[in-house]
Amino acid sequence: MKLALSIASLIVLVVHGVVFYDQFFHKWERYQTAYFDQARSQARNDAERAELSERSPRIEQIIVTQFGESRVDRCGTCHIAIDDPRFAGLGHPLKAHPYSAKLGDVQVNGIWQRRHKFSDFGCTVCHEGQGRGLTDHYAHGEDHYWPEPLLGYVVQANWKKEFQPHLKGKDYMEAACAQCHSEEKFAGTPQIARGRQLFFSNNCYGCHRIEGISDGTLGPELTEAGKKFKVDYLWESIVDPRAGMASSFMPKFDLKNDEIKALVIFLKSRHGVNLTETSLSQYRTRLHATGAPASETSTTLAAGDIIAKGRKLVEDRACAACHKIGEKDGGIAPDLSFEGLMKDDKWLVDHFRNPRVVMPDSIMPGFRFAEADFQAMSAYLMTLKTAPVSASQADTFQALCARCHGDKGDGLGKTALYIDPAPRDLTKVAFMNSKPRERFVQSVKEGVHGTSMPAWSKVLNDQQVSGLVDYVYATFVKEKGRELKPRNVPEKNPVASSAQSIQRGEGIFLARCTGCHGRKADGKGPNSLDIVPRPRNLRNSPFVTSLSDRRVLEAILYGVQGTAMPPWVDYGLSVNDAGDLANFIRSLTQKSARPQLRAGNQTWQQNEQ
Amino acid sequence: MSTEPSETPTAARGSWKDLPQNIWTSVFRHSLPSSELGQAQTSFTNFFLHIHPVKVNRHTLKAGYTLGLGLMSFFLFLILTVSGVLLMFYYVPSTTQAYDRMLDLRGSVAFGTFLRNMHRWGAHGIVAIVFLHMCRVFLTGSYKKPREFNWIIGVLLLLLTLFSSFTGYLLPWDQLAFWAITVGTAIAGYAPLLGEKIKFLLLGDNTVGQEALLRFYVLHVVVLPMVMTLLIAIHFWRIRKDGGLSRPPEADVTPGAERLSVQVVSTPQGKQAFGFMGLVRGPFTKVGNVPENTVFSWPNLLVAELFVFILTVAVILVISLLFHAPLEEPVNAMHPPNPAKAPWYFLGLQELVSYSAFWGGVGIPGLEVLILMLVPYLDRGSGGIGKWFAKERLMANTLFLTFTFLNIFLIIIGTLFRGPNWEFTVPW
Repeated sequence: MKLALSIASLIVLVVHGVVFYDQFFHKWERYQTAYFDQARSQARNDAERAELSERSPRIEQIIVTQFGESRVDRCGTCHIAIDDPRFAGLGHPLKAHPYSAKLGDVQVNGIWQRRHKFSDFGCTVCHEGQGRGLTDHYAHGEDHYWPEPLLGYVVQANWKKEFQPHLKGKDYMEAACAQCHSEEKFAGTPQIARGRQLFFSNNCYGCHRIEGISDGTLGPELTEAGKKFKVDYLWESIVDPRAGMASSFMPKFDLKNDEIKALVIFLKSRHGVNLTETSLSQYRTRLHATGAPASETSTTLAAGDIIAKGRKLVEDRACAACHKIGEKDGGIAPDLSFEGLMKDDKWLVDHFRNPRVVMPDSIMPGFRFAEADFQAMSAYLMTLKTAPVSASQADTFQALCARCHGDKGDGLGKTALYIDPAPRDLTKVAFMNSKPRERFVQSVKEGVHGTSMPAWSKVLNDQQVSGLVDYVYATFVKEKGRELKPRNVPEKNPVASSAQSIQRGEGIFLARCTGCHGRKADGKGPNSLDIVPRPRNLRNSPFVTSLSDRRVLEAILYGVQGTAMPPWVDYGLSVNDAGDLANFIRSLTQKSARPQLRAGNQTWQQNEQ
Repeated sequence: MSTEPSETPTAARGSWKDLPQNIWTSVFRHSLPSSELGQAQTSFTNFFLHIHPVKVNRHTLKAGYTLGLGLMSFFLFLILTVSGVLLMFYYVPSTTQAYDRMLDLRGSVAFGTFLRNMHRWGAHGIVAIVFLHMCRVFLTGSYKKPREFNWIIGVLLLLLTLFSSFTGYLLPWDQLAFWAITVGTAIAGYAPLLGEKIKFLLLGDNTVGQEALLRFYVLHVVVLPMVMTLLIAIHFWRIRKDGGLSRPPEADVTPGAERLSVQVVSTPQGKQAFGFMGLVRGPFTKVGNVPENTVFSWPNLLVAELFVFILTVAVILVISLLFHAPLEEPVNAMHPPNPAKAPWYFLGLQELVSYSAFWGGVGIPGLEVLILMLVPYLDRGSGGIGKWFAKERLMANTLFLTFTFLNIFLIIIGTLFRGPNWEFTVPW
């Protein structure tokens, strides 16, 4: 007992000793003592020597009030020699901060004068980090989760290994420079200028808003991105947008590491405010803010000028960051190289104004350009009428189809991830052999409304289309299909559309269809994530409108082979039930009578009345 | 210094030379006792010691019987109170400041990290130790007559300990805190009828936010500690009034000695040593019915208590020195971690909730607490008191251990084997 008691007491004593030692015998005291000793030995005169002898270790702090919220920077407690040029050659922490003309320092009579005096600027304004910390681990922000680690110097342990090495380097400090030097062309921040240029050339501005720079609305606002996010998060969000948020539809852009770095530094510099501004001057700048590149003229231009202007706009505004136009290919959105052969002027302008009117599931942002710009860009796109020349059917497929349908016809082309509805998997034998050949010929020639499949009839002649379909059968489908049995499906919907029929259809839909097609009939039911191809979005108005009654009824009654859609005739649905469903589905996309989907039938009736 | 108070006032006025002595003796009436009378008086007249009986049964002092768990809980409570009060000097219960204050504690406040470590590990410790204390009491059958009510107080103290720990969990205002409380209060929301109301009352809002932080803070630093202090006092008081710690009947008899119903206790000086402290009715120490097998509290009991105290402090200090209390990212309500987990002692509940919201969150734990409270009234046999795993209590102990291990098993599953989307994962 006594032995145990004394051991336990000893432990208590030792721990106390360690804790108190830690608290009262600091590393920085040793640094300071070392500094005093060395400085004394280098002192030029006795007065200086005496002054150094007087000094004893203490916490050195600078209170910075001019730059945003007031800061307390105690960095000089360890870095005691930052302003002592004699210590330029030493290692940290007893190292003088370098003098550099780039930072605005000047030499007067052979003595350097700092442009950014520590007494005014402190340290964390430029370097970030935790000014109040007195141990390097905390002050430098090396701890996991610690906010504002030293810019460009500290990599936190929980940052992903893949891009940790990219997140170091002096370049990152430009983000801090730009807190005050926010001019667009400031010479000291080349990376930020580059990042800003990339922000436009990669069409980031189309989706993201940064106050005073861009006003996209599809993606998260980035005005304060630098304040909210650490560099690792910014890097990850650009390299792999879905890593942070699984539901993100931001494309993976084809960027090199140095481009990503410039973008990250640019974003890290976005704090929403300029530290040197007062709230009054901020208000003033906001009043005179010039938004995104706006149309400069409203005067009438000659047709040729309009096209030239449109061409310039399409180039300047980085349509090719996603689309393919000639040689440039963003690899995300459809090929516009011969848009004039596939679309008409009205479609293009409508689509520019709001892409989702003609393509309900498009991820293309609705740009807020001037109407005249839309006209000009459409006019230019309509001039792209040069059909590509291909030697063989295989070449035609590779040139025109593979970008979406994939080289192997498996529907996994490079744009496939971003196109909704997804490109058809042409290797799915069950599907390909369950449809008549004419159906595919028609899809190629006329396109599929409400999807990214354009009408190719002006690009390819009938013979070429026929050859292409043959090529698809021969190369991807391979298996010869059996003779299709004629199915007993009426050409016209046997049930006339009426409130009662739609109501019955809704009842069946809620009972049978919502698992995949979703309660909103938008194709996003709970099972939809496990299904490829994805269930149809039945609110895709252009698509649903383009379908014949026969096709809708056939899909419901006999299913769609090669997809998860089952033949409902086997599960007890009659032709009339299918007719009710068809009426209900059509009612969703008709503007005149668009019912709200409700679980209870009563509400529906009330709405009708 | 004499062991006895001075016999008669020798002079009207004492000498100045005696001043320090006078002050000393006015504060400490007795010097370190050298006689049995002194030992008795020391326990009896000292405010801090008078909670002890003058004499305790030898059985009470057996380390293997109590394992010191009750004392450990109490000392942890003291450590938590002291470290908590010190932390209060730096903490601000505001969503905008709380996290910054945590960073200050870690980075720039003297002893800040160490205090926070002590408070955090102490809090985890007290939950575990109080639970083990309950196990000890059950497995030795100590809740039986006349200690039924003290058992109920003990169960209440266990619940309050859990609740204190839970309310403290939110205060750092980091991701861990925010989501643990979001999950924890969601579990409370599953109660029928009143669930949503209780949740709203607790949070002061529909989600965890400023109101919740303030409420949890007030509960954590004022309400719960006060209620716990009161209940601890009653808990201790009842131990005395219920006749000391439980022990088997044979422990009251010195082997070989005949037990007398009346025995006049005399001291060498022929004085009555024990005053009137025993003149109360009930199953406890009486004058003239002094159990044989006893020793003086001073120094036997006090040394044992000191030992438990030093041990507790030493363990907490060493753990606090070696391991830092976690602090995660500041709260981001848009980015829940996957999976979002409640504090570890509620992970058994969360595991159950993943099967059935009502039964896991409310039904089963509610029933468990109810049965736990009723245990002394359900288990009416009087056998097996004061013995670990007594044969007479085989069924009760087996049932209890089954439930205990089931709960521990669920906690382990919930803590280690649940990954994203609460799917089964292997921790290695």
